[in-house]
Amino acid sequence: MIIKNSTLLIATFFSLSILSSCSDDDVTPQAGEFTLEFDSRAGDANLQLNTANTLYSNAKGQTFNVTLFQYYISNIKLKREDGTYFEDPMSTDGSKGFYLIKESEPGSEEIVLTDVPAGKYTEVTFTIGVDGNQINQGAQTGALDPANQMFWSWNSGWIFVAFEGTSPQSTETGSALVYHTGGYKSDPANANLVNNLRTKTLSFGETAEVEKGREAVGHILFDVARLFASPNQIDFSSNAARHSPASCQTVADNYVNAFTFDHLHND
Amino acid sequence: MQGGVLPFLKIMVVVNFTMMLLFACSREEEVTRPFGFSQPDDFPPATYNFSSNPVTEEGFELGRALFYDVRLSSDNTVSCGSCHVPEVSFADPIHRFSVGVGNQSGTRNAPALTNLAFRNFFMWDGGVNQLDFVPINAIESPVEMNIPLKNLVRKLNRLPDYPEKFGIVFGKDSIDSQQLLKALAQFQVMMVSSNAVYDQYREGKAVLTGAEMEGLTLFKQKCSGCHAGELFTDNYFHNNGLDAAFDNDSGRARITEFPGDAGKFLVPGLRNVALTAPYMHDGRFKTLMEVLDHYASGVKESTTLDPVLKQDDTIGIPLKDDEKDKIIAFLKTLTDRSFVGDLKFSDPN
Repeated sequence: MIIKNSTLLIATFFSLSILSSCSDDDVTPQAGEFTLEFDSRAGDANLQLNTANTLYSNAKGQTFNVTLFQYYISNIKLKREDGTYFEDPMSTDGSKGFYLIKESEPGSEEIVLTDVPAGKYTEVTFTIGVDGNQINQGAQTGALDPANQMFWSWNSGWIFVAFEGTSPQSTETGSALVYHTGGYKSDPANANLVNNLRTKTLSFGETAEVEKGREAVGHILFDVARLFASPNQIDFSSNAARHSPASCQTVADNYVNAFTFDHLHND
Repeated sequence: MQGGVLPFLKIMVVVNFTMMLLFACSREEEVTRPFGFSQPDDFPPATYNFSSNPVTEEGFELGRALFYDVRLSSDNTVSCGSCHVPEVSFADPIHRFSVGVGNQSGTRNAPALTNLAFRNFFMWDGGVNQLDFVPINAIESPVEMNIPLKNLVRKLNRLPDYPEKFGIVFGKDSIDSQQLLKALAQFQVMMVSSNAVYDQYREGKAVLTGAEMEGLTLFKQKCSGCHAGELFTDNYFHNNGLDAAFDNDSGRARITEFPGDAGKFLVPGLRNVALTAPYMHDGRFKTLMEVLDHYASGVKESTTLDPVLKQDDTIGIPLKDDEKDKIIAFLKTLTDRSFVGDLKFSDPN
C-alpha cells in the first residue's frame, strides 16, 4: 500500500514538472544571451600592436604605433523597442558587470551578457571607464582588481582608457606616447575635480531579437586614430605622457567619438 | 524480532546525532570569530564600511602578520611596520623621510596610523579615500616596498604560511589582492586610540593640571579651526603657511589639479601627537615647540594661505611663550599609553 502510494506520488510529480516545463517553452520565450564584440581599428586598418614601424597617423599627420591599448566598459544597458532597458547587473565587489577590454587578449574583447530577457532590442548604452565612487565599496576583485594594473594608487581610481605607443614626434624618453585617462570620484566639497567618465549610446540600426537558442552579437569598433582627432587634435610633440584626470580630459572628449556600431549578427 | 529493530534504530539515531554534533564542531572551528570594533562615544561615526569587510579575529591576526612581514617588499627588507611603529602611534620615530628598499627615501613624512576608521581621506594629499586602498601606495612605490601588487599576490600564494591562513579568513581557493587589502584593513581599522589622559578627564576619571587646562582653553581658541572635534582634525585640506611657493610639493593640488589647492595638505589628527615627531608633511619640525613657533611667527603668505591664519591683517596665530608651553602641556594629555602599549598591535614574531 505504502509502496503503491509512493509510486503514484512520484508519477504525479514527474508529470507536473513535464507539464510546467512544456508550458514555459510554449508561451514565453526564455531569456538568452547578447554578445558585444569590441574590435580595435586604426583608421581603416585592423589595429596591430607592437609594429616595428609607426604605421598609423593622428589628425596632425604625426605617425605612431601602439604597444598597449585597453579600457574598461561598465554600466551596460540594452534598450528595448518599447523604450525600457535591460541592465547588466554590477556587483559591489567588482566581479560582475565591469569589463576590461585588452587588445593583447582577444578573448577579453567579447562581452557575453547572460539572462537577457527575450525581446527586441535596438541600442546599447555603456560607460567608458569605472565610476571612481566604486572605491567606497572597498577592495575589489575580478576586472576591478588593482593588480590588473589599470589603477592609480596615488589618486585611487581606475584608469578608464590606457593607450601606450611611440611616435617620432614625442619628446618623451624613448619617443613614448602614454595617455592614461581616468580617475574620478566625487568630492561634495570640491567642484573642481575633472570628471572623465563618458557614456556612449550606439544604435543597432535594426532590431536584435534575443531569446534562448538564438544568437545576437553586436559588433562595435574603436578607432584609435580618433583618440587624437576630434574634437581635440592631440599634438604628440607636446606633453605626450599624460597620467592625470585634467591632462587627459581632451582625450576623453575624443574617445567617446571613437566607438561606432558596425553590424549585428542575429541568427 | 520487532524488539530487535527498535534498539537498532535508536542506536542509528544516536550515531547520527553524534556525527552531526561532531560535524558541527569541526565546522565551527573553521568559522571565523567576530572581533569587536567599538565606536567611542565622543568620536564621529566610523566611516569605514564594516559590512563589506567584517573584522574577525582571524582576519585581524592575518592583517597583523602581513603588516609586520618584510616579505611584502621586493628584497624582503621592509614591512609596513618598518615605518609605522606601534610604540609611537604607528609613526616613524627616527626618519624625516622613511627608508625603503635599497636605502631609498621619499619626499613625505610617514604619518601616524590612528583612528583610521573615522577618516574620509588618507595620505597628505588625500589621494586615497578608502582605507582598503591605502597600502597599495607603499607596496608599489619604488622607494618603499617596490613590488607590483600583481607580483606580491603571486608571491603570497607561493609562501608556505599564507594560503591556508587566507583560506580560513576568506574561504577562497587562492589569495588575490582583495583579500590582502581587506586583511590589512582589518588590522588597521582596529587602531582606535580613545583612552588618553584627556579622555579620562572628559569621563571624570582624571584631573588635568592647571597648565593643561589653560592649554586646552587656548587650543580651543586658537587651533580648533582646523584641529576640530575629538579627533582634532576637520578631515580636510588647508595651507598652513609652511611655504610661499609649492614647486616641491603642491599637496592637494596634485590630486585635484586645481591651482587653488596648491600648498594644502590634510589636517592630521592630534591624538598621540607628542609621540609622532617629526611634524608636517615633510617632517621639517622636530618638536612641538618648533610647530608652535611656526604658527606664531613663521607663517608665510601665499594666495592659498588659509584665511584663519590671516585674520585682522595679522599673519599666523598670536601666541606668547607661556601660551605655547600650556598648549604643549595640553597636547601631551592626548597621549594614549594603553593604545601605544597594546600588545595586540605588536609584531607577532
